[in-house]
Amino acid sequence: MTRTSNPFARLLIYVALAFFTVYNVLPFCWTILNSIKLPKDANARAPRFVFSPTGENYSELWLNMSPQDFAPYGLLLVVIIFVLFVIGLSAKRIPAPDSLVYIGCIFAGVLVALWLPEVVNTAEFYDYLINSVIVTMGTLCISLTIGALAGYGLARFRHVISVYILVIALAFRSLPSLALVLPFYYLGQLSGLYDTHILLIFCLVAVNQPFTIWMLRSFFMEIPREIEEAAMIDGAGRLRSFVSVIVPIMWPGIITTGLFTLLLAYNDFLLARILTQINWTLPVGIAQFTGGEDPGHVTLAAAASVSTTLPILVVIIFFQKYLIRGLASGAVKG
Amino acid sequence: MKRGAFAAFVGPSVFIMLALMTLPLLASIFLGLHYITFRNLDEPVWVGFQNYQEVLADPEFWDSLEFTLLFILAAVPARVILGLLFALLLDQITRMRGLFIAAALVPFVMTPVVGTLIFRDMFDRGGPYWYWMQQLFDYRLFMNSTTVPLLIIFHSIWTATPFAMIVLFAGLQTLPQESLEAARVDGASWFRQLWHVAIPHLRSLFVFIGLISIMDSYRVFDSVFVLTQQNPIFDSETIMYYNFQVALSFGRLGKANAMSVLTVIGIFVVLIPFLVMTYREQTEES
Repeated sequence: MTRTSNPFARLLIYVALAFFTVYNVLPFCWTILNSIKLPKDANARAPRFVFSPTGENYSELWLNMSPQDFAPYGLLLVVIIFVLFVIGLSAKRIPAPDSLVYIGCIFAGVLVALWLPEVVNTAEFYDYLINSVIVTMGTLCISLTIGALAGYGLARFRHVISVYILVIALAFRSLPSLALVLPFYYLGQLSGLYDTHILLIFCLVAVNQPFTIWMLRSFFMEIPREIEEAAMIDGAGRLRSFVSVIVPIMWPGIITTGLFTLLLAYNDFLLARILTQINWTLPVGIAQFTGGEDPGHVTLAAAASVSTTLPILVVIIFFQKYLIRGLASGAVKG
Repeated sequence: MKRGAFAAFVGPSVFIMLALMTLPLLASIFLGLHYITFRNLDEPVWVGFQNYQEVLADPEFWDSLEFTLLFILAAVPARVILGLLFALLLDQITRMRGLFIAAALVPFVMTPVVGTLIFRDMFDRGGPYWYWMQQLFDYRLFMNSTTVPLLIIFHSIWTATPFAMIVLFAGLQTLPQESLEAARVDGASWFRQLWHVAIPHLRSLFVFIGLISIMDSYRVFDSVFVLTQQNPIFDSETIMYYNFQVALSFGRLGKANAMSVLTVIGIFVVLIPFLVMTYREQTEES
């Protein structure tokens, strides 16, 4: 739409947006401040913005050893992350396919993460992080693979059966999560898979599948069928034409759906709580800091909150362009 | 697409959904027709529709429904209108767009339990919002039956407006340029362009956001759980929260499951127009 050129109006727009930004991030910034405070500063009567910062909360949260001993490893870790980050950012300039570079970086990161507890004495919170990453990645991969196949099938097969499947999926989606608690707990006990990653992953996939197929279906509806028909005339099978023709076109849509699935899986509290006993994920691990009158809990909870939020925030901001492009390409027209 | 190919494509997804989700759905329907508590888990007593009668005659159920509806009526329009407003502002600029969007994503992606805790800390005694309200307006915020419901509504606006903003902003990028050009040539003002071109174009997005918001608002739980700190004096029980209490505090699993089934039915009633649209889309020949 027409952009205003009135400098005063433009100034007002920026002021409004700046205000909105402060309103969005202020609580998180306050938590960051709290996470580097001593309990006496965090529990003060009036909010303190000036104080002597401390890393104690983070080291208590993550380490079972003194921070001094950890320092060299920490430095090494920071360097590795920085290098991987730089490689990721400059993927376009490296003479290899972008996706290969990204996958390589992620793979290297995973290896480092698994290697770390071997050399450093990490606290339980680190195990929660690893559990969260495993569960989230597992859910994401399975959910997107079978969801993309189903979404494509539903978009192409015009029949009442497709409507039944979609409506049943919606009934599953609208079931209050409380109703899932007992049956899933029983399933876990019956199958002997209670407190394993695999059960949690499959339950999360099942719970998120309705959303995934609805969203991916509306993406696939936008693609004219002539595209894969051309490929099939050239002799490719249905599956082949799907993998090599449709999926590459659909990347923004799949990434957008993937980001929402990622959020759902990473943020899930209730299912992770009932299906695990010691293999907790981050949201469950955080809940232990929320109650109680111990004044140290405020700062520890803040450090835990920041630690939980940062990874997901980095991922989402990194993929933000795809998110907008995916949504704009008509994912949400239904 | 042939039937066999369709089955192969849809099979894995349908299998995993049916395998894991049918049991909970059937269990809800089954348990809803029985008197069952934690004491007689092994031998539920058949009571027919008595649980449903009890739910519908329960004044607390109607109170929680009333607050849930109030919550939807206040929060959903606010999210959509604020979301549209900031999407339009964002559309006006090019510099620093990424920064503003990234900032807006913060409350949206935050783990709900964490986000609510952080939000509560801001308004708690000694928190910045509490302190500034006291300093600037000489107003001391107490958690009571007026402020807690307001905080719950405000919290949901804080977390969900960015989602509406991003979806609508994405929609604004796909406006039909020819219509805009035509409107511009005719000398249409910005408001007329908005009213006659943008809003009609974004209609399906408003429906989408509205439906998602209504569904999620209907089931709001985390924020109520954290902000009320499970204290009933704040008079701000939502349906899901009451459902939770019936199940875990009163141990009435049968009644709680009857409420779950009613929730599914309630959501379906809201979604009827949307379902009809999908039915037409799926069955039309092409």
